[in-house]
Amino acid sequence: MATNAIDQTRRMLSLVTYLRERPGAHVSDVARAFGITEDELISDLDVLPMCGTSFRGGDLLDIDTDGDRIWWRNPDASGSSTAEPLRLAADEATALLVAARAVATLPGLREGDRQALLRATAKLEAAAGEAAGASSRLSVIFEAEGGVFADVDRAIAERRRLWLRYYSPARDELTEREVDPIRLFAVGHTYMEAWCRQSEARRTFRLDRVAEIRLLDEPSVPPEIELRDLSEGLVQPSADDPEVVVEVGPGGRWVAEYYPHDSAEELPDGGLRITLRTPEPASLRRLALRLGRDGHIVSPPELVVSAREAAREALAAYESAGQA
Amino acid sequence: MAIAKAERLMNLALCLLGTRRPLSKRELRESIEAYLEAGTDDSFNRMFERDKDDLRELGLVIETVENLDGEVGYLARRDSNRLPAITLDAEEAAALGLAAKVWQQARLAGAASGALQKLRAAGMPEAQDPLDGHHSALEPRIPVHETAFEPLMLACRDRRPVVFDYRKANAARPETRHVEPWTLECWRGHWYLAGWDRGRGAERVFRLSRITGKVRSRAGSFTAEVPDVVTVRETVESWAGETATRSALIKLRQGSGYPLRARATAVRDLGDGWDELAVPYGHGLDAWLVELGPEVVVLEPADLRADVVDRLRAVAKD
Repeated sequence: MATNAIDQTRRMLSLVTYLRERPGAHVSDVARAFGITEDELISDLDVLPMCGTSFRGGDLLDIDTDGDRIWWRNPDASGSSTAEPLRLAADEATALLVAARAVATLPGLREGDRQALLRATAKLEAAAGEAAGASSRLSVIFEAEGGVFADVDRAIAERRRLWLRYYSPARDELTEREVDPIRLFAVGHTYMEAWCRQSEARRTFRLDRVAEIRLLDEPSVPPEIELRDLSEGLVQPSADDPEVVVEVGPGGRWVAEYYPHDSAEELPDGGLRITLRTPEPASLRRLALRLGRDGHIVSPPELVVSAREAAREALAAYESAGQA
Repeated sequence: MAIAKAERLMNLALCLLGTRRPLSKRELRESIEAYLEAGTDDSFNRMFERDKDDLRELGLVIETVENLDGEVGYLARRDSNRLPAITLDAEEAAALGLAAKVWQQARLAGAASGALQKLRAAGMPEAQDPLDGHHSALEPRIPVHETAFEPLMLACRDRRPVVFDYRKANAARPETRHVEPWTLECWRGHWYLAGWDRGRGAERVFRLSRITGKVRSRAGSFTAEVPDVVTVRETVESWAGETATRSALIKLRQGSGYPLRARATAVRDLGDGWDELAVPYGHGLDAWLVELGPEVVVLEPADLRADVVDRLRAVAKD
């Protein structure tokens, strides 16, 4: 976590309250309790001896560490004002309350966890007082597919393999596969990251596209792999993937919002020329059809042809009925 | 080397929290090394004002008191800065710990860990090992990619009017909108703002990713009353075509179009490799159907059929 001056000040104020109660605390324990690295804690401990109520009067915090344990030699002389924990700021109350309320609505959350979260939320609202007010101005709704979620959650806990019937929008087909679940996460929609036994590769499944799910008796034994960093976005096209160029008018600008892309150049008519990469350009036939007069594929040429052919074939069905 | 800002802020906080009587700016300047080194009175004054604001952002209640001589003093009283007693058990602590991790936005992530640290200092027990299989395996994350998020969050919090350029979904050019921001809501991974649009004289919902350029604050306060309940989600759902008003009849090739099948209210096997489905018909269904190309034929209503044919023709003659 990057440290800025505000976050560091906030942390140091809590730190002095915490250390007062714990003479000789271990660096490793304190770092864990504060959710920071030992290096971050040491850098806080470098600053604290320069702080106090008067640098001239020598009334500074005498806090010292040998790298293993932390000693505060004058807890009563200085900073006695920090004996009590400070009230929550509006942003702090908002950050915690909004997150807690959102997580509590996840249908797949275990009941014990949900109850604990609801109790904690109520206590926090009471303790935050006025500062809790602004938290109603922010809200988050997670979409979670209840039944499927519960099965995946159970499979992870019991380390069991799953059988799925899964819908692939790119191919418009349902496929059956066996997967070893790794984790569940929610970013807008709820997803399962799993090792797919058919493709012998890591795959991400959106739970609302799972048509059917069954727990198998075989154990789940996914290979040791590094978890994906979710902050980088879910779709991470590779540099080797083929390039697709799409030109859209003003009515097709949404494409740039929904598809991760390499570039989006403004066009004079208010449209965009979007360059993106995908492992399967054929899967973008759907996009080409959807765009209609709001845009078209520029390349690759095979995709242009396949979209046109699909549209013609579809029209033929209407024309043969004599009603187009 | 200049004294680090965190050290300066910490010293100011300790001075204000430690005093029982208001301290004048002069006294504070003499007690805090960084202020002595600040140079001119002007630069000290600017620094001091900014620091006070920063500490207030951190939740400190700083009072400004004028003494009999008309000199202004500052103090942070204990009783207005104390966290009220709060006792959390290990399970509740673990639940809050999970919740605090959801933010992928620097300011809120920092605020959430700051809140946990305050609670920790107040005696909140440490969470047990989260990998013991006792808790849900879920990792919820709240994405925030939109740069407009932070200024709008602050404007909603402080109830400040804003102005920004906004490009509607189908508009070629952005338009300047003057808005009294009420609430932000995240749905399906995207952020939306609800508020009073001064130019339109009506409530509006904006998608943050369509805000172009900077969000600027405006002086003054809200002119329209803030409703008790703001319905962002319902508005967005109707954009997304989730609120169906009618029913459509379609022919679908067997094995294709699973999402349509999942939503269908009736399915009949036509016997020739095709099914006939009744599906809810709301805004946006034509786009969904046209994506499936030759796998689907719209039977009724006639306007939906005409929309789909129209879209197909545009692609067929490309």
